[in-house]
Amino acid sequence: MEKNADWQWEISAHRAWFRLNLRELFHYKDLLLRFVRRDIIASYQQTILGPIWVFLQPLFSTFVFFIIFSRVAKIPTDGIPPFLFYLPGTIIWSYFADCVNSTMNTFLINAYIFNKVYFPRIIVPLSSILFHSFRISIQLLLFLVVCSVYALKGSPVHLNWQILLVPVMILVTACFALGCGLIISVLTAKYRDLDNITQFMLRLFMFAAPVVYPASLIPVKYKFLFWLNPLTPVIEIFRSSFFKPHPLPIPYLLLSLLTTFIVLMTGIILFSKREIQIMDVI
Amino acid sequence: MAKKLIEAENISKYYRLGVLGSRSLKEDLKNWWAGNLKKSLEPTDPESRRDIWALRDINFDVHQGEVLGLIGKNGAGKSTLLKIISRITLPTTGRISGNGRIASLLEVGTGFHGELTGRENIYLNGNIMGMKKKEIDLKFDEIIEFSGVSRFLDTPVKRYSSGMYVRLAFAVAAHLDPEILVIDEVLAVGDAEFQQKCMAKIKSISKEEGKTILFVSHNIQTIRNICNRALVLEKGKIIASGESESVLASYVKLSRDQFLGNDYAQQNNFPGNNNIRIKRVELIPKYLNQLNVIDVRTELSIRFEFIYQVEEAGELMVILQVFRSTGELIFELASPNYSFINGIVNGESIIPGNFLNDGLYYISLAYIRNSSTRLFYHESCLSFDVEDYKDSGGMYGKWAGIIRPSFPLKLDQDPDRI
Repeated sequence: MEKNADWQWEISAHRAWFRLNLRELFHYKDLLLRFVRRDIIASYQQTILGPIWVFLQPLFSTFVFFIIFSRVAKIPTDGIPPFLFYLPGTIIWSYFADCVNSTMNTFLINAYIFNKVYFPRIIVPLSSILFHSFRISIQLLLFLVVCSVYALKGSPVHLNWQILLVPVMILVTACFALGCGLIISVLTAKYRDLDNITQFMLRLFMFAAPVVYPASLIPVKYKFLFWLNPLTPVIEIFRSSFFKPHPLPIPYLLLSLLTTFIVLMTGIILFSKREIQIMDVI
Repeated sequence: MAKKLIEAENISKYYRLGVLGSRSLKEDLKNWWAGNLKKSLEPTDPESRRDIWALRDINFDVHQGEVLGLIGKNGAGKSTLLKIISRITLPTTGRISGNGRIASLLEVGTGFHGELTGRENIYLNGNIMGMKKKEIDLKFDEIIEFSGVSRFLDTPVKRYSSGMYVRLAFAVAAHLDPEILVIDEVLAVGDAEFQQKCMAKIKSISKEEGKTILFVSHNIQTIRNICNRALVLEKGKIIASGESESVLASYVKLSRDQFLGNDYAQQNNFPGNNNIRIKRVELIPKYLNQLNVIDVRTELSIRFEFIYQVEEAGELMVILQVFRSTGELIFELASPNYSFINGIVNGESIIPGNFLNDGLYYISLAYIRNSSTRLFYHESCLSFDVEDYKDSGGMYGKWAGIIRPSFPLKLDQDPDRI
């Protein structure tokens, strides 16, 4: 009768390869913000120190790095005071690790919601990324305070124009982490053992980025491989924007952007292709 | 004719039960390598691989303003169909097209977070259900009033009693404003009073606001009350559809035929567990009338047989519960405690004639050890329909009341005092 009626929506077994419905996402923007708010409120319920943990976490790890890598292993820090050297690396690194960790189990953790109600699933990983972005913004403020303290004491802190790139670098980290998280989330939903492997890889990956050592320490023959890691230029640029500015590693930066883009797109495509089917195997 | 809002064509859903979760990466890679990833979706040998079609070729339409009931036993495919319509799972084949925003209530309080306050959770749950912040702002007062928990609005919901929690959750759900509402009956939870409130609200959403509703239930009375059209699902197929009264009548007849007794021994499929294995449960009417129906006068005997197997000796007691189809427990009977040795045990009970009123009933049996531990609960193992009996000169219409005893009630006239 109404064979050719205009339907507003359709459900079928077929799903397009690239299906990121921006209008739909926009409709759910309140939900996105609500999830972020939920995470912020929930993360400090029933803790004694509450929001102070945002500061304590990077400070603690920086202190540990300082003891182990600077005092014990005596790894050089490019003439930057060790504490100031480790702090930015730790902040960026833990941002990346937190983002990956909180998005990689999207399906497993949220199965109880995904089994009951529909909304674009990508809202959940996006909200995790936003939540951690909120945290890193506060941590960056902390970093500024620490820097000023050092500057007042006469340490070689030189803010320079590269600081303008910092937000871009954070964005690159976020996109790279989101891409990784989306890919892993689809895989771990089906093959649980990948969860363990990922934890292990993530720990190793930290040492592949210049978190506890400067990039200048890398032998020339491994240099290309080292800079292939999108996090390398991110951490290096972040560091040099506060200290003696290195010339921008333009080719590597572009390479990093490209890698990030490919990983992110792969993640989005895989995720949106599988987001519904995957519920049958959980 | 009203506008068509949903059109479902050839919906099928296939589940691979036996191997779920045990499919290895190796197997998947091998399949992929062999290029038959698509083909492996088709069940090669349904029996051995324990693959099932949860739904098979489902077609139906829903028109504007219609309240469509989906009825069927557990495992008939109701929930799967709901999930497909709600976009939680994808159909294996087929297509559903529609107009208008759908909101699915498969559960109340989806996403509630224990650490957040009632107020925060109203917004969280509302957003999850697809409402925007502005819409919730507008309805906020109504929601709170409906829920009746205004005093605890700023208390974390983990400190709520389960009743308060459900009230708040349902209040949010009841104020969604979609064009099409998909409701699972498990939604109506909580105490009897609140359940009534829920059902009344659902009814008013359909009657007064003219919403289109898809309602899933295994309760005939509820469907009869709320829906104007019904679909009966059995084993993944629609076996009847149309105007609810007539569809329900055929459904009742169907379930009666199947439930008068069950000889599990013959089917080689014993319900139960390691301690209790049910061999047989049957309902034997003392006599049937010409139309083969049980009427209010019929004495019913319930007989069951099970294998009793325990490691340590103990006492066994069986509790028999008789429910109305609406879920109210009419009465329960408990056997004395027995100390049986392992082996076959028989049980029998009798419900006298002139006791139950007309209506649909079901019976559950609970097997209790040492008066404390429930070994097995054989839920709705029997169900039967009691029909009215009218002799000449009787009253017309349905007798009121839950039971219908024929205790004497006599009138007398004293000729001397007229």
